Amino acid sequence: MGVGVYGDIQLHRAGQAEAFDAIGGRYNEAFPDKEGQLVAGGWLADSLPIGARVLDVGCGTGVPTCRQLVDAGLDVTGIDLSAGMLALARESVPEAEFHRADITAIGRLDRSLRLGRFDGVTAFFSLLMLPRAEIPHALAIVRDLLVPDGWFTLGMVEADLDDFEMPFLGNTVRVSGYLRDDLRQVVEDAGFSVVKEDSYPYSPATFDAPPEEQLFLHCRRRH
Amino acid sequence: MSTERTTQQAAAASATAAGAARPVPAPPVAPVAPVAEAAVPDPRSGFAAGTAAAASTKRKSGRDRNRGQDRSQERGQGRDRDRKAAARVAAASADSSLPSTPPTGRDRGRDRPTAHPLAEDESSGAQALKALGAPVPGGVGGVGGVGAVVGGMGGRKGRGLPNPAAAPALSESERLRYVGAATRRIARGIDLDEILLGLCRSVVPAFADAILVYLRDPLPVGDERPSGAFVLRLRRTDRAPDESASEHPETGALLPVVPSTEGAYGAAADHIDVPMDGALAEVLRGVRPLFSEAPQATAALYELVGGCPDPTSPAANGLILPTGRRAILAPLRGRRRVIGAAVLLRRPERPAFESEDLLVAAQLATHTALGVDKAAMYDREASTADSLQRAMLPDSLPQPTGVRLASRYLPAAESARVGGDWYDAIPLPGSRVALVVGDVMGHSMTSAAIMGQLRTTVQTLAGLDLAPQEVLYHLDEQAQRLGQDRMATCIYAVYDPIAHRVTIANAGHPPPVLLHANGLAEVLRVPPGAPIGVGGVPFEAVELPAPAGATLLLYTDGLVESRTRDVWGGIEMLRERLHAASQIVSPPPLEPLCDEVLDILGPGDRDDDIALLAARFDGIAPRDVAYWFLEPRAQTAGRARRLVRQALRRWDLEPLTEATELLVSEIVTNAVRYAERPITLRLLRTDVLRCEVGDDAPTLPRMRHAQPQDEGGRGLYLVSRMAQRWGATRLSTGKVVWFEMGIPGGLHR
Repeated sequence: MGVGVYGDIQLHRAGQAEAFDAIGGRYNEAFPDKEGQLVAGGWLADSLPIGARVLDVGCGTGVPTCRQLVDAGLDVTGIDLSAGMLALARESVPEAEFHRADITAIGRLDRSLRLGRFDGVTAFFSLLMLPRAEIPHALAIVRDLLVPDGWFTLGMVEADLDDFEMPFLGNTVRVSGYLRDDLRQVVEDAGFSVVKEDSYPYSPATFDAPPEEQLFLHCRRRH
Repeated sequence: MSTERTTQQAAAASATAAGAARPVPAPPVAPVAPVAEAAVPDPRSGFAAGTAAAASTKRKSGRDRNRGQDRSQERGQGRDRDRKAAARVAAASADSSLPSTPPTGRDRGRDRPTAHPLAEDESSGAQALKALGAPVPGGVGGVGGVGAVVGGMGGRKGRGLPNPAAAPALSESERLRYVGAATRRIARGIDLDEILLGLCRSVVPAFADAILVYLRDPLPVGDERPSGAFVLRLRRTDRAPDESASEHPETGALLPVVPSTEGAYGAAADHIDVPMDGALAEVLRGVRPLFSEAPQATAALYELVGGCPDPTSPAANGLILPTGRRAILAPLRGRRRVIGAAVLLRRPERPAFESEDLLVAAQLATHTALGVDKAAMYDREASTADSLQRAMLPDSLPQPTGVRLASRYLPAAESARVGGDWYDAIPLPGSRVALVVGDVMGHSMTSAAIMGQLRTTVQTLAGLDLAPQEVLYHLDEQAQRLGQDRMATCIYAVYDPIAHRVTIANAGHPPPVLLHANGLAEVLRVPPGAPIGVGGVPFEAVELPAPAGATLLLYTDGLVESRTRDVWGGIEMLRERLHAASQIVSPPPLEPLCDEVLDILGPGDRDDDIALLAARFDGIAPRDVAYWFLEPRAQTAGRARRLVRQALRRWDLEPLTEATELLVSEIVTNAVRYAERPITLRLLRTDVLRCEVGDDAPTLPRMRHAQPQDEGGRGLYLVSRMAQRWGATRLSTGKVVWFEMGIPGGLHR
């Protein structure tokens, strides 16, 4: 699929959103016990003072990350493509603010949504929904949304894939990925320094998703 | 003469003759029908009453060590004892709980004088006979009405009846009734054991005191020609109880052949090689039963029972057999050839056989031999069916990682009912395992054959790694292609030890039961589905959690359904049994659990065959698994090597790194050449290191012999040389090539 063409991007996002609208609550059933994600969320929370503004990119159901960050006393905003997931998130984490938005459109295409600057950003398994060509662009936007020296915690699945269409919980989604060295390179090229890195083998509790190597990068925006 | 009358009269006789020696019981309640449906005449009545009397007679004469007693002397001994015995018979017949063995009467018999003058015996015998209400010897012409039917059987019946009490049995009608009942009992048998048992029970004690039945070994089946030497094997013996032997051990020798039914055959040989020129072979060729009168017949008897034709030879071990008319050697001739022989013996104190008894023996022998012939054929068919069934079942179950398996197969209680139940466990890529239990409808050889077809089909479909509902769908289609009436029920489940999930699809089979680690036994709610062979019905699969420590039980309806229980009652029993089993140890050990489960069937409960497959979920921890998608590119092999290195470092398996990297790189290089979609690399650490490379090209790689100048073609050769095991599996979506490396130090966990 051609990327960079606005119509195609919209189509791409619509497909992804539709899949997650359909998946809904089953996502948390298939991916329980997100140990690595909780540890990584903890990195961010520990790096920030209480009351700091945090953006969760691709917040999904809001569980566990938005919940965790809210409980850590942070001011949490979540964005996601899927209205269905957002509905679940609003229910689970009423303390947070949620918007239906595409990270690649924030600040450039969608000027109606004025989110302001954040002290921290998390993106757990959301950027992998983008074609590879768009990932540096998305990282650049994340960088723009962060205050200087702001914290960014990224979760990805280790894979060498670009916009690969795969069955996922009874639907089809398109995913991309990097091997860990390449991922670090991409993140650093986007203006971040990687402070900490970890990986967790993870087995979803479903036939519909294979086991995966989860990568977590704790980064800081370079000036 | 009716049985009832005999016993009543006997009771009356007892009252007068024996006085108050024993209270006379009430007249017998139920008359015994002359030819009862229950087959063999009750030894307490009619024909067998003579035996009872004879048995008591014997106790007396048993003291006399003279084996060559005059027949009349023996017969004379039991005059009034016979009456008492008859009285006891009457008493016994009033008490239906008594066993059918003749009453003993030994307490009184012991005090009796040993010998009686012949004349007295004769006369008192006649008196006793009168007292019993039996026709007086010599005056029984009227009873011979049926004599014509049996061709002169009654010819000499009136004269010199050996034992007064036995006299009534010797009328033609009695004989006919006996033969009718006995042959019915013999012919009713469906297998060899039943037929021989029928023969023995018919003969002893009603017709003889002991019987030995020999059959050819091996037994020829159908029209096949026996091969090898003519060997006879003692297959069954029976004898009337012999109190005198235990009571007076010194007189036991008087009854030389007292084969017990428990295998102590006395001097009787177990295996007899029959020389074709010997007396025995000659007698057997003659087919007709013989008394041991002619020297040849006696020699044949000794050859058969003692293993040596000459009784004086040391080889005969001092065996002494009743001879003359106390022994009948009856060849057993089947449809085409002699298949064995029966020896019927009477103890010395019992009246000898009469010549008409040879006709009776011939009848019994004919029915037995034909029955055995048919049983052998039936048995062959049953055993063919049984071996077919067993050959269709797995020899052994695989031992996949992350799950323990146990299975049972029990044929139906009736041996010939082959069931067509099956079970199977099929390892799938990604350490998953397919668990299958099925049940072909019907019970026949055909069911077993259909089962074999369906099991093979399921194996093939499972190998393609189709989803459970797809497997059943294609199985259904295939069953219809195979022919009409390929009806079966089937459960197909796939356990994924990494995801801790199980997916189950059902085709009309009873639901699986999941025994949780906490002892809760849960009947899984699985859509029932239509049976295989119905056609055109979609199947549904359910995905359920399969937590570690839980046990999945798949079974066929034979376990839960019987004449006395419906399926749901049976399932409830199974559930309770599983729950109870896990109250002691949880989770209960798997093999004993299977036995425990089978115990819910009572001894007579097994109407149907049973297949049972139990899977204990152990699971595989995420830390032991690594999985990646990789775009097929030039650099992919290098990337795969990097990932292998990374994983083996995490698992402290660095010594394997070099070899594993090399092999993975070879397989990935090959995969990348044909793959269009991303390939997958999976590493699994258990007691071995397993590597799987999946791609979307269906062509399986073949090992080639690369020429020295060839650039490639050495990949699989290397794999086969360096890996512990390797293989390639075609999937519906492509293929998986896998290999396993031994882990130094073996089990690490």
